[in-house]
Amino acid sequence: MLLVNHLSIVYQTTQVLNKFDLSLATGDIFALTGDSGSGKSSALRFIAGLDEVQSGQVVLDGNQLSNNGVHNIAPELRKIGMVFQDYALFPHMNVKKNIAFGIHHLSNSEQQARVEELLLMIGLEGIEQKYPHQLSGGEQQRIALARALAPSPKLLLLDEPFSSLDKNHQEQLVLQVRDILKKTNVTSILVTHDKHEATIFADKVGVIENKQLTIN
Amino acid sequence: MNIKTQGVLVLAVLVLAVTSIGTAQAKSEGLVTIYSSRKEHLIKPLFESFTKDTGIKVMYLTGKGGALIERLKLEGKNTKADMFMTVDAGNLWYAATQGLFQAVQTQTLESNIPSHLRDPKGLWTGLSVRARTIVYSTERVNPADLSTYENLADAKWANRLCLRTSKKIYTKSLVASMIYHHGKNKAGDIISGWVNNLAATPNAKDSHVMNAIVSGQCDVGLVNTYYFARLIAKRPNVPLRLFWANQDTTGVHVNVSGAGVTKYAPNAKGAIKLLEWLSSAKAQAIYASLNKEYPANQNIAEDEVVSSWGSFKQDKMNLTQAGVLQADAVKLMQTKDYR
Amino acid sequence: MSVLALSVAMPIFVVALSWLFPERELWAHFSTVLLPNLISATAVLLTGVGLGVTLLGTILAYLVVMVEFPGRRWLEWALFLPFAIPAYVLAFVYLGVFDYSGYVQVWMREVLGLPGFDIRTRSWAVILTFVLVFYPYVYMMVRASFKRQKINIIEASQLLGASPLRVFFNISLPMARPAVAAGLLVTLMETLADFGVVSLFNFDTFTTAIYSAWGDFRSIEVAAQLASLLVLAAFFLIYFEKKARGQAKYYSTDVSNKKPYHALGIVGWLISLFVFGVFMLSFAMPMLQLIIWGWTSISEEWSAKYVDLIVSTSVLTVSAALITISIATILALPSCCKKNNLWLKGVISMATLGYALPGSIMAVGLLYGINQISAISVYFGAQSINHIIFGSIALLLFAYVSRFMAIGYSSIKASAEQIKPMFTQSAHLLGASRLRLIWQVYLPMMMPGILAGSLLIAVDVMKELPATYLLRPFGWDTLAVQVYELSAEGLFERAAVPALIMVLFGAVLMLIFQLLDKKSSKNL
Repeated sequence: MLLVNHLSIVYQTTQVLNKFDLSLATGDIFALTGDSGSGKSSALRFIAGLDEVQSGQVVLDGNQLSNNGVHNIAPELRKIGMVFQDYALFPHMNVKKNIAFGIHHLSNSEQQARVEELLLMIGLEGIEQKYPHQLSGGEQQRIALARALAPSPKLLLLDEPFSSLDKNHQEQLVLQVRDILKKTNVTSILVTHDKHEATIFADKVGVIENKQLTIN
Repeated sequence: MNIKTQGVLVLAVLVLAVTSIGTAQAKSEGLVTIYSSRKEHLIKPLFESFTKDTGIKVMYLTGKGGALIERLKLEGKNTKADMFMTVDAGNLWYAATQGLFQAVQTQTLESNIPSHLRDPKGLWTGLSVRARTIVYSTERVNPADLSTYENLADAKWANRLCLRTSKKIYTKSLVASMIYHHGKNKAGDIISGWVNNLAATPNAKDSHVMNAIVSGQCDVGLVNTYYFARLIAKRPNVPLRLFWANQDTTGVHVNVSGAGVTKYAPNAKGAIKLLEWLSSAKAQAIYASLNKEYPANQNIAEDEVVSSWGSFKQDKMNLTQAGVLQADAVKLMQTKDYR
Repeated sequence: MSVLALSVAMPIFVVALSWLFPERELWAHFSTVLLPNLISATAVLLTGVGLGVTLLGTILAYLVVMVEFPGRRWLEWALFLPFAIPAYVLAFVYLGVFDYSGYVQVWMREVLGLPGFDIRTRSWAVILTFVLVFYPYVYMMVRASFKRQKINIIEASQLLGASPLRVFFNISLPMARPAVAAGLLVTLMETLADFGVVSLFNFDTFTTAIYSAWGDFRSIEVAAQLASLLVLAAFFLIYFEKKARGQAKYYSTDVSNKKPYHALGIVGWLISLFVFGVFMLSFAMPMLQLIIWGWTSISEEWSAKYVDLIVSTSVLTVSAALITISIATILALPSCCKKNNLWLKGVISMATLGYALPGSIMAVGLLYGINQISAISVYFGAQSINHIIFGSIALLLFAYVSRFMAIGYSSIKASAEQIKPMFTQSAHLLGASRLRLIWQVYLPMMMPGILAGSLLIAVDVMKELPATYLLRPFGWDTLAVQVYELSAEGLFERAAVPALIMVLFGAVLMLIFQLLDKKSSKNL
């Protein structure tokens, strides 16, 4: 269960988002759209605990993560996963090490099992030893997803993860990712500027217009 | 413990480990420690011979004169150095004025080294004499035209003269002697004359001056004689010869290399012993043959090559003057654009 | 962290404090007689050397990275080699070969009948010498930057009809600007601090005045005051470098070995000839001369002493490089400096200014600093630490760290800046502690910079003379000291022996670096 209350964002002196409220049940897939500069990415980064904002509260499964725009709990302790626009795969680590990065506290065999399980789920078995630069954009994107899912986060944030993929495969991949998220039953928020993508991906779609969030 | 503390600890251990190697040197009565601005290859054979004769070990650290003086000053009472050895009376004089030496007057030193090569209070002792004189091309110069340092300022040498840079202490001491003999004004005129006669930018080394004369860039120059000795050892037929300058006037400009016992010497006794040994016939003979300098001990014969150049009249200016007038000499050269 | 940076910057502070002891009379002499000429000569030198290394270093880097031509593969590495030769050694070789009495002019006069000339009267000879000695700095940094330029950007501009020259000036060069600026900065600071080359050419620069104040007028205070002006100049250079870089961030992690241009036929061979010519002039020719000299004197010069020299040089080189690079890494970590911590930033930039100080001034500054600390501790009843610190290897290492921090720091900073914030953020979101973030993300990603920095520092420490000469403990003579002692006496033939060993040493370091570099940058 995720609750976001009274989230307001001010860029320098311009208010871009005013009193954003959102509540998601476990397993919900939510998509947030809006024009560029509408503050949707900032909202996401605030929920992740990366940036601080004017005001706002984040409660995840009863734990208050942030309050009054300030973070009570550091990003690494929030159990929130994130997939970045250009994936942020560590270039010096192979696929296996990338995916296992968030679960290093597990034993080697457990890590191996989890990596294999995730690779099977995203349909990329047997590429453990490859390095990010040897993979296509779509493959990198799915590895980034697997890496974010590996520690079983309570919440997954996706920041424009499909925008740099070619159009032909995009829709197919959007649906594939949706399936994976549904299977793992993780609460997710997708930020995208593409309304169509948002509609086919999410259970609920929110649009930021005139500093206000409207949920359809 | 975070990474930074770890890093700092690792570093600290490393530094300590290496430091202990550096300082783990046994203190020994039979050890004399020397700071020297004479180069290693010129002093090592002397010290080895001394150790063989006396059983006293010698430890030395070479460096530039000015820098070693600074180091000695800062080390003060804590210095490990028993002796400071350097070239040029100016450096010795300056070290003496900074209170770095203790007076040493022994009979051996007094009988071995003539008084004008020693500090009047015994703060330092000259150990070898070097003469700076004219070198000329036998192909293009009639030695009858040569006479004095001052004469090289004459317009007849226009575009024919090569000199070593004014930054070298040998040049500074020579110009100091010009100021001593002629006063600042006349010395300034002589320097201007030299600068006008230069055929090339002043050279960094005496050996470059001689190369320039051999190759025809210029016809006359000024060098310390042992550089000439080195050149003829390699090229016996080189068309260059030395000319003893100022024989009818002030005499050839000479300088010394020498040493003094440091004020806070941990082993002053050993250092005095070494100083006396260095003035002895045996050591002076090594000085003479090793670097083809003139022995300070007048009882010792010169090296064969050196004596073949004939004897000459020395400038008897007291050598402390080279130190006293050094700053004036440099100012004068800088003003007259002698680089 | 502040303490770390502060202690590295200590010699700088000592030098600045010298202004408490003004000496009017000497300043009057200096400012009327010496300084006007020296400042303009220094400006000419810096301008010439700056233009020269920028042109040569950038063009060479561009050719080896972007163009395929005959012999490219080995020339790419061979161009690093001149870096292993100390500048003053190159200078005496060049003078021996090219001055009036050198082979080249003798041949020109005797065979071609041309008049001889004094190459030291004009500034171009000394400028050219510096350019040939220091171009590897720019080459090294710009090459790395070109390698990371996305090949598709260049292909895109090719498809848009841009000529190779236009691609170079409009795309590659602007993208490599921070690297050019960094290389240029190091070169200019080295040139400012140099004493060996300029004294061989008898070319008076600002450093000449510093040594004159100290050596001739026995005023270490005025020397330090003049030196502090050098530091100020370096400060402005750094400032302008930062300004030039502006707000732009040049993130890129791609390394491509594909060459966008293939120079075939005559053009390829001309390019080969040019690059090979630079290699010949800056390395092969001086080496040949050193080998000839060394050959004639090896029996006279070689002795068991060389084992000691090699051991001391190795120990100093390796430990100084390790310590400096560790501190530089800590200071350059992306997490080290919060954007708003101006104090720490300031102290770090102070710590990197030591590079512009002539080595012996820095060394004396260090001695003074230690002496003052000691005096203060004695005042408070503690024991003097002078006798422990003076003449200990720790002090020498300290001097190296202070002097070469700039190289380590700038080289690591360059690779640290390529770590995009999203890597940090995603590592955080995956639950990584700070320690893990540093060990597993930052350090591996900074490794190319760390390696390049270590190599540069190691080679520089190996070549370093003035601080080593003044501060080394008994029995710690290095190869550089031996080269100096022999060449100061005009014994160039004998000096060639230790010089050759140094070059060999440097070449081995370079080889190790090459292997590690290939390994570490494979996946970055």
